[in-house]
Amino acid sequence: MDLKTLRAVVDCLIPPDDFAGAYEAGVCDYLARLFQNDLVEQSDFFSAGIEAIDAEARLRFNGPFAALTPAQQTLTLQAIESGDVASAWVIPPQRFFDMLVNTTAEGYYSDPQQGGNRGSVSWIMTGFEERAES
Amino acid sequence: MNDYDAIIVGSGAAGGIVACVMAEAGHRVLLLERGSALSFNDVGRDHLRNQRLSIYGHNAGPEITGNPRVFVDPHGSSRVVSPHELDYHNNAACVGGGTRVYGAQAWRFHPDDFRMATKYGVPNGSSLSDWPITYETLEPFYERAEWELGAAGDGSAISNQIPRKRNYPMPAVAPSPQTAALVKGAAQLGWVTTPVPLLINTEEYQGRAACVQCKYCVGFACPSDAKNGTQNTVIPRALATGNCELKTNTIVERIDVDERGSINGVSYLIDASGTSQRYTARSRVVIVSAGAIESARLLLNSRSSFHPHGLGNEYDMVGRNLQGHLYQRAYGLSPTKVFNGVGPGVTIATTQFNHDNAGIIGGGMLADDFIKPPIDFWYDSLPPDLPRWGVANKQFLRDNFTRVMHVRGPVQDIPKAEGRVTVDSDVRDKWGIPVARLSGTTHPATVAAAEFMRERGEEWLRASGCERVWSAQPGLILSGRQHQAGTCRMGKDPKTSVTDEWGRAHAHNNLFVVDGSLHVTNGGFNPVLTIMALAFRSADHIARILR
Repeated sequence: MDLKTLRAVVDCLIPPDDFAGAYEAGVCDYLARLFQNDLVEQSDFFSAGIEAIDAEARLRFNGPFAALTPAQQTLTLQAIESGDVASAWVIPPQRFFDMLVNTTAEGYYSDPQQGGNRGSVSWIMTGFEERAES
Repeated sequence: MNDYDAIIVGSGAAGGIVACVMAEAGHRVLLLERGSALSFNDVGRDHLRNQRLSIYGHNAGPEITGNPRVFVDPHGSSRVVSPHELDYHNNAACVGGGTRVYGAQAWRFHPDDFRMATKYGVPNGSSLSDWPITYETLEPFYERAEWELGAAGDGSAISNQIPRKRNYPMPAVAPSPQTAALVKGAAQLGWVTTPVPLLINTEEYQGRAACVQCKYCVGFACPSDAKNGTQNTVIPRALATGNCELKTNTIVERIDVDERGSINGVSYLIDASGTSQRYTARSRVVIVSAGAIESARLLLNSRSSFHPHGLGNEYDMVGRNLQGHLYQRAYGLSPTKVFNGVGPGVTIATTQFNHDNAGIIGGGMLADDFIKPPIDFWYDSLPPDLPRWGVANKQFLRDNFTRVMHVRGPVQDIPKAEGRVTVDSDVRDKWGIPVARLSGTTHPATVAAAEFMRERGEEWLRASGCERVWSAQPGLILSGRQHQAGTCRMGKDPKTSVTDEWGRAHAHNNLFVVDGSLHVTNGGFNPVLTIMALAFRSADHIARILR
């Protein structure tokens, strides 16, 4: 999987602010584990989608997704979300994007034992917990 | 020669109670459970693999592989589904069944829930019908379930709607931060409210501790064992008599008949690592308590030359009228924090709209909700106009997770005969047994009631101080899931029902169904206390006739 692109994508979906963004919270680790286990049969599909995001970025803004400005990144993902893609996709963009958004949120908001939500960051942010799980 | 007086298939809400009553009456009982006895650690706290949110798996069975079902959507296309998918309509498969991991709301049905056809007439295309028994008949057994399992509530709150002779054994759950606002909102609207009755210890009861107010009731096991299921109440009592043998990881393949076609026991498999061995056991009666989907499947799979369509199925009634609940829900943004991290979270309900709503058949109860893990909240509770990602989504969670007020509740299903369980002719489970095939929907009158309840939910939240309110439109679906019911309905006429009022199959004197399958209709309430009350009543009867 193209980790540089993936890192930029998940941080565009759940950006850092006062609380960690998706990458710092371990979402890429969550996704790696998920696509090696529960969703192993869909890992090629997912990797193809991440590569297609990068291709979409290059076609739209002449650069790799990871090097775009936050506004350009957001525009790229919005286009994919609405199915309005400029490049040739070998997989259905909206079905991929739905899986991407859901699994990123799962990594960020579910229990830290799954590899994401490091330091219970989302639970502290939301108020679900007052402190990190021991 | 019989090995047992009674064989009970399934150790859930009903089977555990039947085992206890019969064993304490001195009968020799074999209790068969397809799942395992699960410890607190076995159930765990996986936020993505539990009975409330089962995206990648379950924490209380059955296993994801080897236990398929077939689901037929409303357009008629069918697909094989796994236990963690919504269309599987799973209920937990373990000792205690669903009660091991349920939220434990302990509602009695409303007296009118037992006479729906008389009260409303039968809408075109529906199989709406009255129960063969009344609320008054079941009332003493509701009381027994509340006291023997252990329920907490306020017996005076709605006793004019749902009469009772005796209070709950424990006081109602303490209010949460949203409770006062919801009580005040309901009062302004002129609506009745009641604390939500729970099968959860609000104080020490029967030697087990009080609730420790964690955030994990629905979908998980209780850390202080204060949540009362059959696995920690009646099943231990049954085993303590020495008359009840519990076999776990045991899959009943079929109910057996003798050379004259009379029922004489079951054939079953023990699911051990590597091999599965087949066994038989003989008994005077067989009691099927496997839940509305698996009970129907077992009867339909028990074909013989004497009973070519399965047992109890002389009139093609087994598996029909599958129902559960459409769960209507609404959300509102409260000006103040409504989350303080103290469970269970559910505290207050209105039963104002269970009946007598103009132009609506039935209705339902609305209550605030159990504490929801953040990923559940993300999937379930966000406003439809909120972007699903980006800074706006994150900041909504940050600012509002503790401020979103929820009300939700089960809407009474109006059943259709076409909503049903059959057995699939091709797909088999890992033991080679034909699997359940689920098809059809409930009647459109259910959707009209759900839409009415959606509006009431929004109205309640606005009256309770929420400015921004949202909800989801209900649709026509097959409901079932943890509230599954109706597939072996009881009744007086053998042509339109499967069992008599005791759960005895019309054409057999020693075959009983005792679980949610018996429910003619499923009320506008969580059904478990009704399943339990019926189990006490049937078990008394069966113990008596075996004497």
